[in-house]
Amino acid sequence: MPKSNQQPTFATAFKKSLMSFLALSPMILAVIGLVALFQTYITPDMLSKFFGHGESLDILDGTVVGAISTGSGVIGYVVADGLKQQGVSDYALISFIMAWTTLSLTHLPAEASVFGIKFTAYRNILTFLCTLVIAYLSVTTLRLFL
Amino acid sequence: MKKLKFKGLKFLLFVIALFILVSIFDFENIAKIMDKIGSMLLRILPIFALVITLTAIINYFLKPEKIMRYFGENSGIKGIFYTLLGGIISHGPMYAWYPMLDDMRKHGLKFGLIANFMYARAVKIPLLPFMVGLFGLPFTVIVNVYILIFAILQGKIIDLLIKEKEK
Repeated sequence: MPKSNQQPTFATAFKKSLMSFLALSPMILAVIGLVALFQTYITPDMLSKFFGHGESLDILDGTVVGAISTGSGVIGYVVADGLKQQGVSDYALISFIMAWTTLSLTHLPAEASVFGIKFTAYRNILTFLCTLVIAYLSVTTLRLFL
Repeated sequence: MKKLKFKGLKFLLFVIALFILVSIFDFENIAKIMDKIGSMLLRILPIFALVITLTAIINYFLKPEKIMRYFGENSGIKGIFYTLLGGIISHGPMYAWYPMLDDMRKHGLKFGLIANFMYARAVKIPLLPFMVGLFGLPFTVIVNVYILIFAILQGKIIDLLIKEKEK
């Protein structure tokens, strides 16, 4: 652990913070570029074609589709609303929303570069599994009480 | 001040190569993609400013010893609480928060707590009304409680999987 008995000035702390950010700027630009490419070529219409294969498969479909999709959370909910109108199950919708907000294929290279391949692999595999379990548990819990 | 060492240059070159390919085979879409990049940058610039300022505040007020105490090996329930709270209230895309997490990681932030933070981001307070509209209130409450439980579980598992000597 570095020794630091001297209190840095806020200007020094800010400069250090700015430098840390600038160091990661090529990666951030690359992620933004990749997200823009995905948003252009993978449309909501294409995503909706993945669903409708039964509740169990829909959980998996929702997770995979959510993971390969990109965009802000609001867009995720708008797409989910459209899927609901098409009769997609709650299992699929919740796994889709969960995967949309927690998993992203386009972020993987950046995450691995910052936090290491091991952490990125463990975290994303666990997140994938958690999404499947949460989607199942949430719908099951709700059905127990309502 | 240390010399600036860029990360992700190869990744950026790869994406630039993809853009060159797209401009050769699908030139019509390039303007559309550039528009998307422009609007994304405009939307997340304020978040970047927030992240840079927050990182500076953390660097200024939290010395490495304090970061170790709040977010290090023996941080316990406090570390979990703070990272969950941070994940819930943080906005913008995940990658915008990488510099801050990377900086805190160098000062002792546990990998498990990074996982906590990242998973707790699934609880999005501004988007809760959308979720209630889509699934109803009971369902929204249940899902978000599960998210927080699984965020803690995930953090614990990550810490078990990545032992100190491997970090």
